[in-house]
Amino acid sequence: MVDYTSSEHYEEKFEFPLWKLIQQRAKEKDISYIQATEEVLPDYVKTIRYTDKEFVTQEIEKRHRELESLTERQKSGVQSNYKLQ
Amino acid sequence: MLNNIQESVLETDVVVVGGGIAGCCAAAKAAESGLKVIMIEKSKSDRSGSSGQGIDHYSGFFPAGTTPQQFLDIWKNMGPGAFFGGADFINFSRLYRTIVNRRWASDELERFGVPMKWEHGDYEVADIYYHGGWTTLRVHWYNVKPILAKAVRDRGVKVLERTMAVDLLTNNNKVTGITALNTRTGEFSVIKAKATVLGTAAFSRCFNPETPQPWKYKYRYHWCPASVSGDGWAMTYRAGGEIGNMEQTERGYRFRDDLTMSYGNVRGDGIEAARLTWDGTETRRAGAELERQGKDPFYYSLTRIPDDFQKRIEVAFADERLVSFKIAQDRGFNPRTHHYEMMENRPNQLNTPPGITADVHFQSTLSGLYAVGDCLSGTHNVAAAAVSGLIVGKELYDTVKKTSSPVVKQAKIEEQKQTVYSPMSVKDGTNYVELECAIRYAVDRYISSYKGEGKLREGIRRVGSLKREFLPKLSAENPHELMRCLEVRNIIEMTELHFQASLDRKESRGNFTRLDYPNQDAKYDGLLLNQTLVNGKSVIEWKKAEPMDMSLREESK
Repeated sequence: MVDYTSSEHYEEKFEFPLWKLIQQRAKEKDISYIQATEEVLPDYVKTIRYTDKEFVTQEIEKRHRELESLTERQKSGVQSNYKLQ
Repeated sequence: MLNNIQESVLETDVVVVGGGIAGCCAAAKAAESGLKVIMIEKSKSDRSGSSGQGIDHYSGFFPAGTTPQQFLDIWKNMGPGAFFGGADFINFSRLYRTIVNRRWASDELERFGVPMKWEHGDYEVADIYYHGGWTTLRVHWYNVKPILAKAVRDRGVKVLERTMAVDLLTNNNKVTGITALNTRTGEFSVIKAKATVLGTAAFSRCFNPETPQPWKYKYRYHWCPASVSGDGWAMTYRAGGEIGNMEQTERGYRFRDDLTMSYGNVRGDGIEAARLTWDGTETRRAGAELERQGKDPFYYSLTRIPDDFQKRIEVAFADERLVSFKIAQDRGFNPRTHHYEMMENRPNQLNTPPGITADVHFQSTLSGLYAVGDCLSGTHNVAAAAVSGLIVGKELYDTVKKTSSPVVKQAKIEEQKQTVYSPMSVKDGTNYVELECAIRYAVDRYISSYKGEGKLREGIRRVGSLKREFLPKLSAENPHELMRCLEVRNIIEMTELHFQASLDRKESRGNFTRLDYPNQDAKYDGLLLNQTLVNGKSVIEWKKAEPMDMSLREESK
């Protein structure tokens, strides 16, 4: 990954998947972005595991453990060894 | 242009100032009970206010049937972080009403056509740690304002769009209406009313926003937009009403480039973002400490959260601010690979503790004047705005029916008209943007997060000087610019109150930090700072917070 304080970092172009869908629908039907959002969002929401409580709990707890571990290390004066890749 | 100005005189049961969530709820509910209602909105009610682009959360459900004692017990367990300092700044009875009635309000909003449930047919409860255990709903409210604006019109409310309130009209210490300016035509209106409801949001325009082109985008466009110039607070203050907690600010780390504060944003929908120093090291240390160590700027990162949660952020963008997609993409910002640069922890608005002081029925210290939403001292977020608006709308019927026809004084009307139009007579005067920038500079320089006696005193002198020298010299060439001049008048007056209140609290507590008084002083326990205009001078009074009314209960359907 490009160093995130470099100029290249901010020149990298990408598209949000949801925004791409909204724009495409708006163009196809010649409607506003808000109207396209009304059509596109319900199906997009179905691709997200909102109601999978086991998965959500697992991810939140995993992150919580990482943070607790980091807090302990920093309290003890040990430098965090977690660096972003 | 001055020769062709139209004038109108209207009379109504209720005038609602501000067409945001709170104002629309108050107007619609009052009209449902059969009252004659006029609602005025400075911009256009379909997309006005802090929720104009949408909202993705409806927060703070407590368990059904929560009693006042249970509420207090839960509140104490939420710790000092709750409400930016907690108990010392809030009227608990009013807070109780705005929180425990969120289920009732949710049902009312559904009646108005606002969607509370998701595609699966049920409420979507957010997995969030932030509020210390409150239940928060995720909502698809990208169209909440058009829906509420329609609900208002469908109930027969007369809506005056592009109309800014100028000042309150009073008679025998009672508010009897307002004067207003049409910001397109320049028409001057006198609206006589038995009850006046202010839903004019909080106050943030004494602070600079974090926009990429600070010389260009002077008005915030999210999280308290350009309209939040403290209009209702200033009107109340000038009429002799009480404004409370003006030393308190919300403080937060502002995102560089204002890359949205959507709910699902750096909270990652329950997964806490990584906080990184400039070299990519994750840290749990506070921003101020990092700055002292030279490890700033620091960043929030969501680059390692699962793709499922990245998609939730996109849904949050769509629900709350669609333009976030464009802003992020234009800047090449991808939450999957980039980090949010956090600016220093600085005040960004006066909201939640500050505002119009009001009783448990949301009536201010001025008879006939009510406050709802962010305008109200101790109210927080969109759910509270809906609740307070609906309660006031519901309860006004009995009050209005016992109120006699409003009487207004012509001398006051003429005085307010003169205030409105005088900038059009000024040639080669001060530009309103310049004066607003000067006010913001004074706030940045002399108030900021960490206050001290010397800076506050100098700031008071500077802002006073700006007001004396440049406010009378503001010039305008059209009704829109007249509106901006009126806004700057409100901004400078509320900024003065902010400085004066900050000087008077000689301790540190909650979000309020005095470097010269770094500790909490017990003599301020349970006291609220209030300011009133008396004989042209700002008077500060410390008052004991009212005890909780233990007879309160949830609203019934």
